Amino acid sequence: MKLEIIDYTIIAIYFLFVIGIGFLLKRQIKTGNDFLMSNRSIPLWITSLAFISANLGAQEVLGMAANGAKYGLYTVHFYWLGAVTAMIFLGVFMMPFYYGSKARSVPEYLKLRFDEKTRTFNALTFAVMTVFSSGVSLYALAMLMQTILGWNFDISIWAAASVVLVYTFLGGLTSAVYNEVLQFFLIVLGIAPLVFLGVHKAGGWEGIVQHVEDAKLHVWKGLDSPAHNPMGVDFIGMVFGLGFVLAFGYWCTDFLVVQRAMISRNLNDARRTPIIAAVPKILMPLIVILPGLVILALQKQFTNFNLPVNANGETNYNMVLPTLLQQLYPSGILGVGITALIASFMSGMAGNVTAFNTVFTFDIYQTHIKKDASQKHYLIIGKITTVIGILISIGTAYIARGYNSIMDLLQLVFSFVNAPLFATFALGMFWKRTTGHAAFWGLLSGTAAAAITHGLTLAEGKGAWIAKLHTFYSGTSQAFNIAWIAFVVCLTLTAIISLVTKPREEKELVGLVYSLTSKPKDDNKAWYKNPLWLGLLILLVTIVLNIIFF
Amino acid sequence: MKKLLDLRFVIGLFFLVVGVLLVGYHFIFSNATETINVWCGILFIAFAVMMLTLSKQEQHKNPQEN
Repeated sequence: MKLEIIDYTIIAIYFLFVIGIGFLLKRQIKTGNDFLMSNRSIPLWITSLAFISANLGAQEVLGMAANGAKYGLYTVHFYWLGAVTAMIFLGVFMMPFYYGSKARSVPEYLKLRFDEKTRTFNALTFAVMTVFSSGVSLYALAMLMQTILGWNFDISIWAAASVVLVYTFLGGLTSAVYNEVLQFFLIVLGIAPLVFLGVHKAGGWEGIVQHVEDAKLHVWKGLDSPAHNPMGVDFIGMVFGLGFVLAFGYWCTDFLVVQRAMISRNLNDARRTPIIAAVPKILMPLIVILPGLVILALQKQFTNFNLPVNANGETNYNMVLPTLLQQLYPSGILGVGITALIASFMSGMAGNVTAFNTVFTFDIYQTHIKKDASQKHYLIIGKITTVIGILISIGTAYIARGYNSIMDLLQLVFSFVNAPLFATFALGMFWKRTTGHAAFWGLLSGTAAAAITHGLTLAEGKGAWIAKLHTFYSGTSQAFNIAWIAFVVCLTLTAIISLVTKPREEKELVGLVYSLTSKPKDDNKAWYKNPLWLGLLILLVTIVLNIIFF
Repeated sequence: MKKLLDLRFVIGLFFLVVGVLLVGYHFIFSNATETINVWCGILFIAFAVMMLTLSKQEQHKNPQEN
């Protein structure tokens, strides 16, 4: 793919704007809270778009287009079954505790609800996950630029990392959030014309239906057996593993996304943030999954849409979007499309780095190293942590270069950590009897159960490092099943240990547990300001979409 | 300065610049049969005008906030 001067100009303008935003916001950053928490002053429309954009990284944009080609419409379960319901649940039920408890992070909520060891365990696992995830985003960006544009791998890594460093270092979380919103519009407006051109060239929706195998054009048909659907998943794995445990585990407990709602101006805005974000989330498959179906239809009609194969002879589905960009976009709009891809990688990286520096500063440094320092001191620590986070990400990107399967490994680590964490939160928020010891040992056991399940099962050549007791049809199916097993083990053990250990007094749990907290009253507000009504409406739309594409 | 801190203004400005570039590129350099640049350019400019208008309205409505 060859870029012209107009394409490079658009990329340069984008870099100029993202760095400019950092410089403009620099003057407003005076304390650690400004830098790490935006001082809870961000308007609703920005927090909502940042909420969805923080997740709009490499995995979402390139990965979901790849899944669209590999698994067809089954991929929309990540949105219409998992994400949307979890986001509504977060807004309606969980956000009052996060926001109302005045916790500055998810691990800090665990400290308030349980104890210090549970918070530290979660802070450490989260910190490791975020810098690894950030590094993988950086690695994927450099690999993509090297493959499709012939750019130097090292220069791509250092250039992208430097831009992210400049704007997050100068403007902190506010700068990252502002850039996420710009990146959101760029990704949507940069890729939407590609989808339009692709669908048009494929002969419209009728052309896609005609040329793509029927199994990939349904959302629920074929779920009676893993052999009957392209994803190779069973009903329990899909509904309980993805739809409940993995989706709720990610959207309701991962600080990377929850942080975007926690910086809202007030509780009502914080509750509506994930619910309003669910609206573009419902539509996102049009941008990130439809290209996968489009390329399948185009492959049947034209010769130049075949995807490259890797060294093992397997189709490289990650090249769906780059191939469409190359074949359908002329110079000019091609620059916008490439910039949209760069934006998605940088958005993913910056989101991880800003979540990392908040958790490290408040939950590790302030808790275990220096408790009562000034706000200015924590500002400096936050900035130093930002630099360290970026440097570790660069190191991780180079490590990822040596391991073909690190993306898979990272996904697996997410299911090890987030799935049991959701069980801990579910019990902690809705059962006042849950104790700190139970939460800690339940979390550890859930994570261990995930590791053991992976060691005893095989999928696509991965796992079974203890013994092979079962073989899954696909790696996705394996991850879904590991997630629900980890959740059930954590939930069961936490409940049992809670019953034999001493609970905290009820007065200490006010504002932290559902039954002991006064419910937010939204009775007198318009329906669009009421999180419950808004959530129900979005849920209804999602159900209708599931029925239409059954 | 206050205007520059309004995200709607920044987003509007970005898409205005890119939209004008795409339209200009189409008329100066591009193949006349390739119309995607000009259509996308017009779309971006329309989006930019909407964001800039919203920004201006907000400035009038609430001069204290971003």
